[in-house]
Amino acid sequence: MSHVVRRTATLLVSVVVASFVVFAFLAVLPGNAAEVALGTNATPAAVARLSREFGTDRPLLVQYADWAQGLLHGDFGTSYVTHEAIGPRIANRFAVTVWLVAGGMLVALLLALPAGVLAAAWHRTGRGALLSGLSQVGIAVPAFLAGILLVYAFAVRVGALPAGGYTPLAEDPQDWARHLVLPWLSLGLVQGAVLTRYVRSALLSVQRQDFMRTARAKGVRRWAALCRHGLPNAAIPVVTVLGLQLSNLLVGAIVVERVFVIPGLGDLLLRGVQDRDLLLVQGVVVVLVVAVLVVNLVTDLLYRVLDPRLRSR
Amino acid sequence: MPPRRIPALTLSAALVTVTLAGCGSGADRHSTDALTVGLVAEPATLDFSTTDGAAIPQALLGNVYEGLVRIDQQGRIQPGLAKSYDRSADGRTYTFHLRNNVKFTNGKAFTADDAVFSINRVRTVWKLKIAQQMDDVRSATKVDADTVKVTLKRPSNNWLYSMTTRIGAMYSRDGVSDLKEHPVGTGPFEVESWQRGDSLVLKRNTGYWGARPALDTVTLKYFKDSGALNNAMLAGDINVLGAVQAPETLSLFKDKSRFQVIDGSSTSEVVLSMNNSRKPFQDKRVRQAVRYAIDHEALLKTTRAGRGTLIGSQESPSDPWYAGASNRYPYDPAKAKRLLKEAGAEGTSIRMRIPNLPYAVSAAQVVQDQLAQVGLKVRIEPLEFPARWLSEVFDKADYDMSIIAHAEPRDQWIFADPHYYFRYDNPAYARLLQKADAGSPQEASADYRRALKLLSQDAAADWLYLVPNLMVADKSLRGLPVNQVGEGLEFAGVRWSGK
Amino acid sequence: MRSRATLVTGCLIVALVLAVAAVSMVWTPYDPNHVDAARQLAGAGGEHLLGTDQLGRDVASRLMVGARITVFAGVVAVGIALLAGVPMGVVAGMTGGWLSTVIMRVSDFLLAFPALLLAIMLAAVYGSGTLTAMVAIGIASAPGFARVSRAATLRVMTAEYIDAARLAKRGRVAIALRHVLPNIADIVIVQASVSFSTAILAEAALSYLGLGTTPPTPSWGRMLQESQDLLFSTPQLSLWPGLAVAATVLGLNLLGDGLRDRVDPALEGVR
Repeated sequence: MSHVVRRTATLLVSVVVASFVVFAFLAVLPGNAAEVALGTNATPAAVARLSREFGTDRPLLVQYADWAQGLLHGDFGTSYVTHEAIGPRIANRFAVTVWLVAGGMLVALLLALPAGVLAAAWHRTGRGALLSGLSQVGIAVPAFLAGILLVYAFAVRVGALPAGGYTPLAEDPQDWARHLVLPWLSLGLVQGAVLTRYVRSALLSVQRQDFMRTARAKGVRRWAALCRHGLPNAAIPVVTVLGLQLSNLLVGAIVVERVFVIPGLGDLLLRGVQDRDLLLVQGVVVVLVVAVLVVNLVTDLLYRVLDPRLRSR
Repeated sequence: MPPRRIPALTLSAALVTVTLAGCGSGADRHSTDALTVGLVAEPATLDFSTTDGAAIPQALLGNVYEGLVRIDQQGRIQPGLAKSYDRSADGRTYTFHLRNNVKFTNGKAFTADDAVFSINRVRTVWKLKIAQQMDDVRSATKVDADTVKVTLKRPSNNWLYSMTTRIGAMYSRDGVSDLKEHPVGTGPFEVESWQRGDSLVLKRNTGYWGARPALDTVTLKYFKDSGALNNAMLAGDINVLGAVQAPETLSLFKDKSRFQVIDGSSTSEVVLSMNNSRKPFQDKRVRQAVRYAIDHEALLKTTRAGRGTLIGSQESPSDPWYAGASNRYPYDPAKAKRLLKEAGAEGTSIRMRIPNLPYAVSAAQVVQDQLAQVGLKVRIEPLEFPARWLSEVFDKADYDMSIIAHAEPRDQWIFADPHYYFRYDNPAYARLLQKADAGSPQEASADYRRALKLLSQDAAADWLYLVPNLMVADKSLRGLPVNQVGEGLEFAGVRWSGK
Repeated sequence: MRSRATLVTGCLIVALVLAVAAVSMVWTPYDPNHVDAARQLAGAGGEHLLGTDQLGRDVASRLMVGARITVFAGVVAVGIALLAGVPMGVVAGMTGGWLSTVIMRVSDFLLAFPALLLAIMLAAVYGSGTLTAMVAIGIASAPGFARVSRAATLRVMTAEYIDAARLAKRGRVAIALRHVLPNIADIVIVQASVSFSTAILAEAALSYLGLGTTPPTPSWGRMLQESQDLLFSTPQLSLWPGLAVAATVLGLNLLGDGLRDRVDPALEGVR
């Protein structure tokens, strides 16, 4: 229990530090929100007036405290550039990114579990080597490249799926799925390749253990033994990797969002930085960092649940 | 995919409501009362009096807001909410005779009081620099309910022109409380709904004073990127692709049975700026050398698939004084080298600090290579746009060279201001502009022509090309404005053929 | 035996990339940045081996220079990660106590801080560029090195020769340099090969986003970004840089796997 408390405390401290680092960073960047809002029509007087209106002329710590206080009450503030409330906007975008990442992860799992089991069952055979080789190639392809290749194959050549864009789920579920198939695949194929190798190696090390030999001696077929006894025992390392991958995906989604022009968190973040929309960037960063930390925490706890030996520590 | 337009006979009011409900999933292909236009840059707010950006006037000017005067496709000033105007002999006084059947969409009649209010409002409320164009106004007074007299501090042709732009928009005295969300104007359309990040829906203003627009609704759908925009056009989700970003992609719309390509002129000059206050560009010969060293035709061909107009000064074909090819510099690398040698600037290193926008990045690479051929070493630094570019290049002029499109119409004044980031300081040019501004409209054209020639000879900058006004539209659409002459993209005259 | 084949294949690919990068410093078929309006989008074969891009530049020459940028990116990022991460890990492993805790907390924090975000911020401050981007990736990769070298150091510290060195009153720095570092080197090298491919992927992604290598210098990621608009008309322009990235990363991964099997024979056949 104390472990959970300690981890949660670490999480909170990390969020505060991360948000402050980003805040300080953005505040010293060249350019500011008032200049952006006024564009090529800015006069120094107008910039000063607008900065005062935004409150960006106040000392950094005051601005930070103000923002942090709002956040404690669940208020992310209002965007300088578009005058919108930031909280709902982030929630909106985060939902998109979560759909993207969740779908990608699902594709990865659906691919990696069977492929990993097969690769382990076919260990030291030609087919096994082929699967391993394929997964090696899969790992070497960055997700955005996979995206470009998929766009070429399915949007340009076949013309069956859109090359980019997004329709909200509530508006048209079918169109929503059509727009997300390729992004899911580009995230999922690459992560699936990585995961396949972990599933395979976890299974292989389980295979050497006594209960597996017993099962095999009882005449259970090799792949059946792997599925029934091997998979549950291989879960520990696989869950760890899964957690790591999930946090990678959250951030990696930024690039895939760019490839497919999906209005997710990444797009919001890049735009916020370019507009020096301090509070917006701040909000996105906090959400991203919290998401990554929570995933890490959950992985860590799951790990303990799965492996009783660690519980007493 | 064949076009799926149902004959106009089946149209009914019921279909219109379908369109409204279905705007999110694309235009209703069966309705000839609705139009969906795909654009890329979306407005930050709906109030162009406090927020800059071309997207706001693009959507609202001429559609929701109107001015006393307006600009036509040939760049001529025409009556708007004023059915006529008189210019006094000394050019200092304009008397506007207002139409008396005009109503705002909040139900209030448009009167001389509103006109005076709107003109004064620019001077008090507007935060943007363009509002300075109103500084020439000494007074705006109501003569009677339908007549407004504006007295200027000095005679100014520009002032009348600026009244056709966003600063001339007429506001209701009772309609300015929530302009960021709910604009109130007199135009043929009013704002029906605005979904940030997605679309702006305009609906026909049923009380409009002028000819009834053919369209009931116009949906401006904003896309994050040209790829998605192209797809939407191909899929028929939008009827007009409002701005073709990469002309190479026009090959996607070759099917003449579905699409028409509109290729007109704009007022957006892509300027290769040279910091006139810094070495080596303090020296006119170096600036001229740059202009000779650039093969503008090759640049246009490689970066814009040959679409666009080659210009040689801060001008557009829709300006009455447009001089055509005469201000351009021929491609002459030998002459460029000679000029550089005379100026002792061979092998100079130059920082080209450009905004990280695709057109600027691709043009910069061509310029870099062509200048390398004559012995100038250019280092390209893409800066984040808008924040960093505005702050460092535009505000502080910390750059040697840059590339950006100057989109505003009739913006010759930017070279007359020695503090503008070009840092071009030539009193003779400023004087000519002043004279053009003050003279009679006939003299003005001749003076402008002289001023722009001087600008070109001085090589205050290099003009890479004029951005084409490239649109793709459904084949059966009529009446889309071909040339972009003012700030608004007007839909009042747009209709589906066959109706 | 298989690990041997893996190692050899990996070595061959990586050697090829290094060779191309080296050659590009003295020779390319054409000037990689030369714009030629008369030869836009030429097909492969003919005068231009792999054709030309939309500005009429020779794709083969640009790919070659891209290899150099890739190697440079990897070296810078891994170099920074090594120099920052290994000392952190060794110190944490040798001292233990609060210092170790602090170091490991800092590295945990860095791990949670998205590398891409760091790169975006640095690009905003210092302008985009290969070096800026790789400094960010280097910083973000340092915790990985810290963890690996701390674990290895902990194991080394239990060895008898460390006790012997202590008895001989050797200083801590001397022990670290003479006994710890040489004994954790193999594991660090494996980590380096993994980080190298991560760095290459990151450079490609950042350049693709327009935050990495600046134009006109060809980087594979930027070439991908520039050609994406032309995917409908000239797809081969995306193919070449894509292939280059994937092959290089594949080579590095194979090399890393082969090396790992050598370093840690217990894992042979498992991975």
